[in-house]
Amino acid sequence: MELLGLALALLGAALAGGMAGVGSAIGIGIAGESAAGVMTEDPDKFAKCLMLQALPGTQGFYGFIIVFMVMVKLEMFGTPLSISWVQGLMIFAACMPVALACWISAIYQGKTSAAAIQMISKKPDAVGKALVLPAMVETYAVLSLLTSILLLMFGVQLG
Amino acid sequence: MSYVYAVARLKAMENRFLDASFFSRLIDSATLEEALKSLGETVYGQWISGSAPAEFDQVIDRELIASCEDLERFVPDRELLDIYRMPHDFNNVKVILKSLFRAREGGERRYDLLSALGAVDTERLIMALEGEEYGLLPYGLADVIPHCWTLWEQTKNTKDIDLMLDGAMFAAMRKTAEALGIPEVVRWVERRIDAENLGNAARLARMNTDPAAALPFFHNGGTIRPADAAKLLGEPLESWGKALSHTDLGAVFEGIQDRSDMQATLCDISKALSDSLIRVLEKAKYSASAPGNVILYLLQKEEEARSLRIALVCVANGLNREFARRLLSHAR
Repeated sequence: MELLGLALALLGAALAGGMAGVGSAIGIGIAGESAAGVMTEDPDKFAKCLMLQALPGTQGFYGFIIVFMVMVKLEMFGTPLSISWVQGLMIFAACMPVALACWISAIYQGKTSAAAIQMISKKPDAVGKALVLPAMVETYAVLSLLTSILLLMFGVQLG
Repeated sequence: MSYVYAVARLKAMENRFLDASFFSRLIDSATLEEALKSLGETVYGQWISGSAPAEFDQVIDRELIASCEDLERFVPDRELLDIYRMPHDFNNVKVILKSLFRAREGGERRYDLLSALGAVDTERLIMALEGEEYGLLPYGLADVIPHCWTLWEQTKNTKDIDLMLDGAMFAAMRKTAEALGIPEVVRWVERRIDAENLGNAARLARMNTDPAAALPFFHNGGTIRPADAAKLLGEPLESWGKALSHTDLGAVFEGIQDRSDMQATLCDISKALSDSLIRVLEKAKYSASAPGNVILYLLQKEEEARSLRIALVCVANGLNREFARRLLSHAR
């Protein structure tokens, strides 16, 4: 029972890292399919396509940041803190914004990137606009990251 | 392969469509050789080398066939391409059947009108029809062909056989579209049937055909019932828009005026119906993974080929350039 708090906290961190990573992989996959389609016909658009394909990858990093913060908070790199199940649950809850928002937003950002890649295949000069559209989806992934960071830093008091 | 990949590739391929300024230059060419020189700088160029100038029709066909073959390699559902190519297959069946009818009456078999644009190999069609191995035929033709023979033996009327085959083709198109389960493709097939029915109605109206006698010319499967299409024959062309206002096709006829030049009116109707077929798929244009983009691409390619044929025929025969411009429906 004394390890339940720690288990809950680590489960939250694992979900944050895992779900955000899965979302990013799916998003990058979708954008990659679109990029491959365009580059089959026009290999010169590689740089532009790569830029747009990489966008949904950021959510995976956001998830990793939260994993790292939880591990630091729990002093996992030394002797782990002993925390109650309520504290563990609080950390678990703090991880959820990133886990859910990054998972979903990465997939949708991948779809938007795929559409933006198709846009630059027809209008190569509109690459700036094409970058803005998927970047709008990023806003909510960033907000979820900030929410998780704030919750971890100020919402959960240990010790 | 996924539709995200396929649609992205199609969008990139669309960049190679010939634009309005190219067609304008083509029409202004002084000779066919000059026009083909311009065409040689486009994607059609790969098929021009070694062809005589008068063979431009084959050049255009080769490009269309190559496009279909290209798409077959990366479009996830081959059935989508089958739906588009089915009219060419049925046209080939008509050619072979008519040739066999002629042969039965002591005439010669002629297969020079067969099109390579169909999804089914023409040799396979000839073998199945000549050998009466109808089980080898696709699209439910195994059931239809014996009826065609019976009808021909009874009436010797090839027009009735054409109508029977058209009906079978639309049924097969609809069945394939429904099996695919892609709503926009089902809608397109319905619109295709409606367009055929309305095109027939316009031609029959011009010939003052009695609505009751015209019923066999209309096919099931569209949004407009054959009986409703036949009723249009009793109405002046100007009121067709109103009569069809409950359907999406009402707007198509709103701008159509019954002109004294019958050919020009039919040409306007044909263009409006052809545009409406593209419009029904236009929503797909805004989706990065809509399968409708495959049909849309093929329709645009077909439109381009048609425009190219018009332009080259006009140049080859020294026809009036303004007349050619009016005929060109291509406008990107």
